Amino acid sequence: MSGNAAKLRVHDLQLGHRSGRSGSFALAVDGLSFDVEEGEFIAIVGPSGCGKTTFLSAVAGLVPVQSGQLSLDGHQINGPGRDRSLVFQQASLFPWRTVLGNIEFGLQAHGRLDGAGRARARELLDLVGLAGKGDKYARELSGGMSQRVNLARALATDPQLLLLDEPFAALDAQTREVMQAELTRVWQADGAATGKTAVFITHDVPEAVFLADRVLVLSNGPAHLVESIAIDLPRPRDPSLKRSPGFLALSDSITDLVMQQSQPEWRVQSDDRHAHLAS
Amino acid sequence: MTATHISPADRQIGAVAPVRRASRATGGGQRRLGTGVLGVIGLVLVLGAWQLSAWLGWVDADFSSSPFGAVHALWGMATDGSLWPPLLSTLQTVAIGMAISVVAGIPIGLVIGRSHLLHGLTEPLISIMYSVPFAVFLPIIIFWFGIGGEARLVIVVWSAIFPLLINVVAGARNLDNNYLQVARVFCASPTLTMRAVTFPATLPYILAGVRQAVGRALVGAIVAELFMGNEGLGYVVQLQTSNFRMDDAMAAIAVIAVLAVVLTRGVAWVEHRFTFWSSSV
Repeated sequence: MSGNAAKLRVHDLQLGHRSGRSGSFALAVDGLSFDVEEGEFIAIVGPSGCGKTTFLSAVAGLVPVQSGQLSLDGHQINGPGRDRSLVFQQASLFPWRTVLGNIEFGLQAHGRLDGAGRARARELLDLVGLAGKGDKYARELSGGMSQRVNLARALATDPQLLLLDEPFAALDAQTREVMQAELTRVWQADGAATGKTAVFITHDVPEAVFLADRVLVLSNGPAHLVESIAIDLPRPRDPSLKRSPGFLALSDSITDLVMQQSQPEWRVQSDDRHAHLAS
Repeated sequence: MTATHISPADRQIGAVAPVRRASRATGGGQRRLGTGVLGVIGLVLVLGAWQLSAWLGWVDADFSSSPFGAVHALWGMATDGSLWPPLLSTLQTVAIGMAISVVAGIPIGLVIGRSHLLHGLTEPLISIMYSVPFAVFLPIIIFWFGIGGEARLVIVVWSAIFPLLINVVAGARNLDNNYLQVARVFCASPTLTMRAVTFPATLPYILAGVRQAVGRALVGAIVAELFMGNEGLGYVVQLQTSNFRMDDAMAAIAVIAVLAVVLTRGVAWVEHRFTFWSSSV
């Protein structure tokens, strides 16, 4: 397509769905444009109901593109593909399968559940910290453990692009902290070597700052891009980073930006933080 | 609607639950007797009172039979071999009828449950057919099919297929969309989606339906034998009662009772074995 080699290219994207009996068309995303480079970890934040999840579903191929460009490696996305995996928001594990059976599902669906595939599933079981729990069933798992399986299932197929739809939203605060640290660890152990790209949706700004190379702020729905903020915090990142002044300042200013989308009259405690961000 | 939508949650009042409750109760305190033990005591009390009434001449044992008389008759039927042909005949009718119901009912139920149009069209019909006592169709079925083996099968299928259909349809309708999305995201083929997602996800409903259907199939088979049979346990009950051999009739009834318990417990065991992962078990 165009000259530079963006991994995921979003240009003037329009998404929506017919709602209600009237059949009126409701726009969820309108005029959204940005590029994601290969190997980048992108976090998208925005007011609730702004169309973040619709956008991610469109990238996963579950929601049709209305108009505009949404392309992965130069190919327009028009359905689910083997080059993408989705980590679901809620427990979507198959309760009739063991932990290992769930991790293997993607490989099975791709017809790749041979010796190497099984070895890969076992390797991921260890990597997400569930060694020895492969024979357990979903109902025996805590929320945090379920999302570890969810992550392992998505990583097992070695996707070019990993999509994460608020995977830690349903977890309690402590588990969420642990899982954020675990995700960076797994990412650095598994993703970095193979050059995986990730798009992470969340409404939790500190989570976005902690995980991402770049945070995208979306407007109130229908969503368009408000701001793209590079997070130049060093990696590997560990949870103590969240207490550092630089992290807090960044989180606060992005939080203000998000709040302003849903409440335009929202005033920040210190306006100079904005000036700092804009510069 | 409430009467027709039997979800797996209804298993709480099904055949599996009492056993587990019993073990929990006995584990809890030594002085409390489990419901299993209490059930046996209740049974012994009623049979004892019946036997005593017969011994003391309060009732005419030729008229009412008696537990010992029935056991004696059962022993006689078992040793002279006259018990086995009717038992096998009834079992065969139930087995073939269930096979037809399962083979037809599960795919039809899945298709109806997944189609908004078909569900809308068939829902009232299936509910009515489930609710109306199937015995009212007996004269018509006899008129259509005669009183042979095929007619008995028609009655068994007629009585068994509707509870099965209702459960399978409910299962297919309650299929969690998240599971299907997982299958779509990982590009699972339609065959794999059906085999590895839709079927296991609806299995708790299917097996709950099979358990209900087995009970109704046995009722259907016995009723058919009572009214139009020349073989089977129901026919034995009918024949021996009209011959005034009450002990033999009671013995056949006892065999039917055991058969009913074994069949429903058997399916309940299968249910427990294959849907242990379901949170509602």
